[in-house]
Amino acid sequence: MPRAVRGLLIECDPSIKAMILKYDEERHDYIVEDLDDENHLVIKESQLENLKVRLDQDLDEKIMQLDESESE
Amino acid sequence: MASATSRPLEYLEGLSGTTFYKLYKQPSTALAIFRRMLPDLAKCFVMALLYLKDPLPTADLEIWVNTESKKQRDNALSILGRLHILSTTRTGDNVRAYMVTDPFATSLRQALMGAEDSQSFGVFSRGPGETQTSIADLDEYARRQWEGVMGYMVGTSAFGGQRDMVNLSKGVKQLLQAGHLVEIRGSRVDITKDGFGFVLQDVNTQVWHILILYVQSAEAIGMDSVEVLSFLFLLSSLELGASYEKKHLTPNQLRTLTDLADFGIVYQEDPDAPCFYPTRLATTLTSDSSALSNPVTGSLTGPAGQTGGSGSGFIIIETNYRLYAYTSSPLQISLISLFTNLKYRFPNLVTGKITRQSVRRAIEMGITADQVISYLLSHAHPQLRKHNAAHGTSNAKGVQASVLPPTVTDQIRLWQLERDRLRATAGFLFKDFTSLAEYSAPCQYAAEIGVLVWKSEKKRMFFVTRHEQVAAFLRSQKGGGK
Repeated sequence: MPRAVRGLLIECDPSIKAMILKYDEERHDYIVEDLDDENHLVIKESQLENLKVRLDQDLDEKIMQLDESESE
Repeated sequence: MASATSRPLEYLEGLSGTTFYKLYKQPSTALAIFRRMLPDLAKCFVMALLYLKDPLPTADLEIWVNTESKKQRDNALSILGRLHILSTTRTGDNVRAYMVTDPFATSLRQALMGAEDSQSFGVFSRGPGETQTSIADLDEYARRQWEGVMGYMVGTSAFGGQRDMVNLSKGVKQLLQAGHLVEIRGSRVDITKDGFGFVLQDVNTQVWHILILYVQSAEAIGMDSVEVLSFLFLLSSLELGASYEKKHLTPNQLRTLTDLADFGIVYQEDPDAPCFYPTRLATTLTSDSSALSNPVTGSLTGPAGQTGGSGSGFIIIETNYRLYAYTSSPLQISLISLFTNLKYRFPNLVTGKITRQSVRRAIEMGITADQVISYLLSHAHPQLRKHNAAHGTSNAKGVQASVLPPTVTDQIRLWQLERDRLRATAGFLFKDFTSLAEYSAPCQYAAEIGVLVWKSEKKRMFFVTRHEQVAAFLRSQKGGGK
């Protein structure tokens, strides 16, 4: 019997997807369905803002250092 | 061009049919709308239809355009329809036909052939060259006033001194606040996100933005918007350097005139003077040429550029993201500092570097990468342009783009993209199909009605933006199957 589930289809790089999967492992509160290919998954609608903020923070931490080490 | 036209166009489209009827009674308005608001193809249609005695059957008009250009044709026709310029009627043999609507057609013909009623295009007080005020004076006045408005928004006082700051009238400040370009908290003025976008646009777009705000606020205080609008279109058809009689204007138009003088769009020696001068800000409003080379900023800097150091042609960017701006204008410096890490400041030069942080800071304030790039492009130093011309590329599009080092523009865009690492689409996931056949029929149906976003045969799942129709399809199939 087919079912329909409400959610947000997320399209992103494999790296970002990996990060989202990692967040979800903690409490399983993001993902509705992992769509098994490299750059798609469905998440809960309410979590989008939260997810964006968290991704921005983590990405900042990682890329910031690169920016600062650049010689002036 | 598109961005410059879209705002006034959007506003006009929102007006009612009767407003158009009143507006189009003025030949100057009809001409201004024809010149500025219409795509080229639409102009062709209007010109072709203008002097026809009878309506032209739609099929006849449609064969003028190649089938490949159907999209442009439909776009042109839809704009003409929305502006109430073209209407469809039926000919004697009940064939659908196009005709140019009446007050517009009459007015445009009058404008083209010279009208008896010359007041519609203003009444010369003195022609160009005979006036006491020279074009250079007008440009200087327009520049000072307009920069004053910008400076007020960006808060240049923080950047060292109120050097030749103009006194803005209360009306100007209220208008900026009403348009949500600034927020006034006590004595402090804070620029909003919209305001940031606004200050980085080219002058012509900015003037239109302000004028439309003005018309809207005029409505709110009970002035007739048609009167104000047609006056604006009248202004745009005046000649730079000439002065015009004020005695033919209505009280509301006189009031508008005084308000526009605060923005530098018109100039009058004093509010009671018998005549006024349009400045370049007004006369380029409806001309096409302004979109290409931005003559407002260009000409405004012409005489004042070296000393005043504002306007176009002072920014050099190197491929290593270093930026050199030959300016001492506090306004320009504060604009540049919105998206650049400034490092040194000399009497006529500031230098800095565009970095990931500085661009992200700008983006967080609501400025887009394209706004930054178009600002840099319109203020690129002649040396950058010269360099580009020497290494001229073949296609016209490439020429424009490569004035700035492509590495820098690409990187600015990439930095913006970095913030949007994921694309989210709200909708519904259909899953748990028992067989491939059961899966593929609704999936195909979803694709046909244009709601399918993603599908996977392997997992037998698909994602749609709207579920109602697909669900109904599934139910009907199940009913049919049994």
